[in-house]
Amino acid sequence: MVEAFAVASGKGGTGKTTSTLALGMALAEDHDVTVVDADTGMANLLFHAGLADVDVTLHDLLIADGSAAVSDAVYERYGMRVVPCGTGLGAFRAADPARLRGVVADLAADTDVLLLDSPATLASRSAVLPVVLADRAVLVVQPTIPAISDALKVQEYATSYGTGVAGTLYNKVQDPEAVERVAAKSGKYFEGETLGTVPEDDAVRAARRAGEPLLAHAPDSDAAAAYRRAADAIDVRDADAESVADRFRSAVVPEQP
Amino acid sequence: MTELTFARVVDDTAAALSLALDRELTGHAVLTPQDALLLDDDGAGVVAFTDGVPTHVHHTETGRGGAPALASLAATGPLRVECYAGDDGSVPRTDRTAVAPGTPAERLAGDDELAARTRDAARAADIDDADANDAGDPDAVEAFLADEQKVEAIRDRAREEARERAEEWGFDDL
Repeated sequence: MVEAFAVASGKGGTGKTTSTLALGMALAEDHDVTVVDADTGMANLLFHAGLADVDVTLHDLLIADGSAAVSDAVYERYGMRVVPCGTGLGAFRAADPARLRGVVADLAADTDVLLLDSPATLASRSAVLPVVLADRAVLVVQPTIPAISDALKVQEYATSYGTGVAGTLYNKVQDPEAVERVAAKSGKYFEGETLGTVPEDDAVRAARRAGEPLLAHAPDSDAAAAYRRAADAIDVRDADAESVADRFRSAVVPEQP
Repeated sequence: MTELTFARVVDDTAAALSLALDRELTGHAVLTPQDALLLDDDGAGVVAFTDGVPTHVHHTETGRGGAPALASLAATGPLRVECYAGDDGSVPRTDRTAVAPGTPAERLAGDDELAARTRDAARAADIDDADANDAGDPDAVEAFLADEQKVEAIRDRAREEARERAEEWGFDDL
C-alpha cells in the first residue's frame, strides 16, 4: 500500500520541512515511510536531516540522461528513507522537474507512505507538481491571515487537480487558546480536519542547528509530542502500490517552460 | 498640511509596510487592495505612522479600528499605497484604533522579519511596544475568518486561477 502526501503551505517560513520530517518519523513507527524534498528550487531538507554532504540527490535524478539510479539518492535515516535535494543552482537549472513523476513512481512501488516536502509557492508548474502528484495534501499554516489565505489557495489548487486534503496543521503556535478559536472558525473553509497545533518551541531551532529532525533531537519536547499526535490523526489509506505507481507514471505532467 | 509623498501599486502588504518603514513615514498611508473593485467593495485601510512605525489603523468601509481593521484589509495580491506625510488622515489616535508596532507586519503580512525590524524602529523612536492595546480586541485572524464573503472570494479566485493555469500548464485531468 502507498499513499502520497504533499506537505504544503503556499507560504514560506511555516516550518514545512521540520513538519515533513517530524510527521515522517512519527508515521515511521507504524509504516514504511519515504520522505522526498520536492522543493527543488529551495531545497533545505538535507540540512535538517544531516545530509548536507551527500553526493547524490534528487537533482541528479532529474537531469536528462543522468546516470544516477533512484536508489543512489535514497538514504536510510531515522527509521525512514530520505531523498534530499541539492542546493546547487547549476543542478537546479539542469534538472527537469517533470522527471519527478517517474522518481515518485519508483519510490511509491516500495513504501507505505510518501511525504513530499513541497515548494512554498504556487507560482510555477514545477512548484505545483508535487501537489498534483500527491493523493492528499497536509497544509502547514501559521495562525496569521496571509498564511491561512495562502493555505486556502493551496487547498483550492489541490482540489482542482483532484488531490484531497488530509488536514491542517497549525505550526509555531504561541497562543494555543487563540489558535483553538482560529481553528474552529477556519474549519468551515478547510477540507479535512485540524490535525493539530504545534507550539513554538526552542527545541525546533536547536534541532535545525544540530542538523537533526526534531523527533531525533528532542523527542520529549512539546513540539515533538504535538507532531506525534498530528501523525496519529492522519489515517493512512490503503492503496495498491502498483496502481499508485502507474498513476504517477501516467499523470499528466507539464512540459518544461 | 497634507502632502502626498508617494503613491504606487505594490505586490502585497509587506511591501506597503516596508515602504513606510524605509521612508520613516510620519503621517498616514491609505492602502487600497486592488481587488476591492472586483469584490465590489470600495473600502480602504488608513494607517497612521510615526517614524515609519504603524501606530493606529482604521478601515473606511467596515469602520473597524485597531487589529480588527487589519482583517478588513486582508487580501492576497497587489494593493495601491498612498503615503501622506504630516497628518493622520481619517485615523483617530484612540485606544480603539491602536495597534502594537509589530502587529500589522505579523498579522497582515505574516512577515516576522519585517515585524522585528518595525519593533526595532519603534524602540529607536521610543514608541510604546506594548501589545496591551490589542489585547482586548477580537483577534484580527478571527475577524478575517468571520468575513465569509472575503474568504470565499479568495477561494473562488484561487479555483479560477488553478483552472486557468491548468490549461496554460498542460494539466488536462480536470
